[in-house]
Amino acid sequence: MNQDQVESEYFRRTSKWNLILILLTLALILTVLISLNVGYAQIPFQNILAILARQIPFLNSYVDPSLFLPRDAAIILQIRLPRIIAGVVVGAALSSSGVVYQGVFKNPMADSYLLGVSSGAAVGASLSILFGTGYSVFGLGILQLAAFTGALFAMFLVYNIARVGSKVPVTMLLLCGLAVNFFMYSIVSLLEVVAGDSLHSIVFWLIGGFSNILWIQVWATLPFIAVGMIAAYFYSRDLNLLALGEETAQNLGVNVEKVKTRLLVLASMIAAAAVSLSGLIGFVGLMVPHITRLVIGPDHRILFPASIITGAIFLVICDALARVVATPFASTLELPVGIITMLAGAPFFIILLRKKKQSYAI
Amino acid sequence: MQYEKLVLNLVLLNVDGVECRYGSVKVLEDVTLAVKDGDFVGILGPNGSGKTTLLKSISRSLRPHRGTILLNEADIYDLKGVEVARQMAVVPQDSAIGFSFAALDVVLMGRNPHMTRFQIEGKKDLAIARKAMELTNTWHLSERPLNELSGGERQRVIIARALAQEPRILLLDEPMTHLDIINQLEIMDLVKNLCVKENLIVLAVFHDLNLAARYCTSAILLKSGRIFSTGNIDEVLTSENIRSVFRVDAIVKKHLVTNSLFVLPLSPQKPSPTKKCSIHLICGAGTGTALMKILLDEGYSVTAGVLNVLDTDFETAQFLKIPVTTEAPFSPITEKTEKANLAMMSKASTIVLTSVPFGHGNLQNLENAKKAMEKGIPTIVIDEVPIESRDFTQGKATEIFSELKRIGAVFVANQNELLQWLNVSEEKARSSELEKVRILSHLKPGTANESEIADKRKTMGETGNR
Repeated sequence: MNQDQVESEYFRRTSKWNLILILLTLALILTVLISLNVGYAQIPFQNILAILARQIPFLNSYVDPSLFLPRDAAIILQIRLPRIIAGVVVGAALSSSGVVYQGVFKNPMADSYLLGVSSGAAVGASLSILFGTGYSVFGLGILQLAAFTGALFAMFLVYNIARVGSKVPVTMLLLCGLAVNFFMYSIVSLLEVVAGDSLHSIVFWLIGGFSNILWIQVWATLPFIAVGMIAAYFYSRDLNLLALGEETAQNLGVNVEKVKTRLLVLASMIAAAAVSLSGLIGFVGLMVPHITRLVIGPDHRILFPASIITGAIFLVICDALARVVATPFASTLELPVGIITMLAGAPFFIILLRKKKQSYAI
Repeated sequence: MQYEKLVLNLVLLNVDGVECRYGSVKVLEDVTLAVKDGDFVGILGPNGSGKTTLLKSISRSLRPHRGTILLNEADIYDLKGVEVARQMAVVPQDSAIGFSFAALDVVLMGRNPHMTRFQIEGKKDLAIARKAMELTNTWHLSERPLNELSGGERQRVIIARALAQEPRILLLDEPMTHLDIINQLEIMDLVKNLCVKENLIVLAVFHDLNLAARYCTSAILLKSGRIFSTGNIDEVLTSENIRSVFRVDAIVKKHLVTNSLFVLPLSPQKPSPTKKCSIHLICGAGTGTALMKILLDEGYSVTAGVLNVLDTDFETAQFLKIPVTTEAPFSPITEKTEKANLAMMSKASTIVLTSVPFGHGNLQNLENAKKAMEKGIPTIVIDEVPIESRDFTQGKATEIFSELKRIGAVFVANQNELLQWLNVSEEKARSSELEKVRILSHLKPGTANESEIADKRKTMGETGNR
């Protein structure tokens, strides 16, 4: 390739990025529509489209409400849709915070739970399952609030232990996160031992899933996640520069400590909100950023939005699988989505990694 | 008005009384220097003398505990990072990066301080990046991931990134560590060129004193965190300074071709003579230079003469502080000098004759050797080059040579044989000393001991043959 081709190729990059995002968004919409089809009750696809169209302003007058049963509308709008949107939101949240963590830590093992978010949420959730069932605040379950509070508390703890003066060394953060995670999980184990009848609920929450999601829960978490993601995206060029090393980033004009702190707080907030909605869903925050990076490269300006959409697609597909794979054996049984994410994601990731392992670096 | 404008265009970097600490350990103390554009300053010093720390404090990465660093009269720690980055670029020691960014992406990151948050690199940025990469000869690598490049290629890309910053000040932290010699020279030529043509300030940490000598206009020499010497490069790089800071003896001279200083370090000096034998060298024209150092290292005390002042061997002897009888440059040896030399030779326990060419000017040296032999001082001739080919006295030297052979001078083929021979005679000297002691204390010389010494000689002879 000659030199001018390098240049013109380079300028075509921006339109390539836009194309990637458009295609991914279309794929996400398609995935959502298809996964609305999946479930115990058989509802024809055109009916689903009609039910959805009824909800859209201006379009609703063209749709005859007698086309579908009110029962079907309730199943789609009150059971399947909130659940699928929760999948979109959580998948997007976990992978975006994963991208940020991996970018800041430059560590391939960094994921959205790194700074104690998962373990803190687990403690909060376990405590509320044991002692607080039945209470609710503005229609939100106490469990969701407790998980969110626990996650932020753990992150705050890790951050403050790791801080040395005005700086937060990456290695210290990793180690403190590890230590706090172990400590918190031991509390969870302790609670499990004394849990008795509630043990099943705790274990189920720890694996993570979307059964019985309510719209209000989705609306309660969405602002944290949306605001967090938008704010974090402002720093995507800084994330690129951080890959050169903190000192070099500093020399290139990045206010490293400030950017690092803000990104970590934002990513933890996003992850905490997601966890409070779905419980602990593993693999997404760790692997989706890797998978996206393997395919489209390391530039965070495209990697960040692309990972968000890919994570959403991935989790919606996994959740759909979770609903159907067990039905041949027991019609009402559904698997926790956390199991599916790992069963489906790990082999896929390994295949991709083997193909590209020569040139992949983090 | 004209004058004012001129002043405004200047870039000035003032480091004033800087002190840096890691914990309670002072790494830099009271470092002050002023640099203006067009200066190429080398930061020199042994490991742990604070070179990198100084560079870090200047690059705004390590806030000094005391003192200020002023960039055009503004404290760099009061300025924003971006403002400093628009004027100052840093090439670090270690250039490995996370993620597999392509070389061009990395160079374009150098444009960061000139861009707003949501700006995407445009035509101008790409043109600057391309120019920087062409200057460092890396444009052909632009699409390759940085981590797949060789150390030298990577370093050149990193330098291109620094240039893409369009800095007025370039800080280099041992930038040549990963580069082979041609790359070193190319990159340094490039940096020097920028320094001269674009009036860039360059501050570079060097381990290689010769590279520093070749490119720097001035230098600061650090010793345990303090400035030991500062000024023009030839004021700083003197063999005295090198000895007191690096604890290494070095020859510092102006190179005839490059007209820059060159530094030739010698291995760390050994303590005073450990051996009994003292050796007088008859040499000249560089034939004794290597031998002087070797003999000193082996622990012999060495004298030499007669040597003409300005002869290579004379300079070496001066440097190694070897006593010499001297004669004026390009002059034949006078009777007076000859006498002085004879006196010096009679103190030696062995005379060594190198393969020096003989002319009418130094033929007396050969005659002196004969005189010394007649006095009973053993003489060793290193017969590397046939005497006929280095005899410029119409056969007189050859004649004396065969005379020497006749009266029992030892002929060896090279330095190694010489050293072996010297070892044996050293043993001999030791044992005769021992015997003296025995006789003095009225003891009968033991036969066993003698045979032991004989054995030793035999084994030495054998190793010599191998």
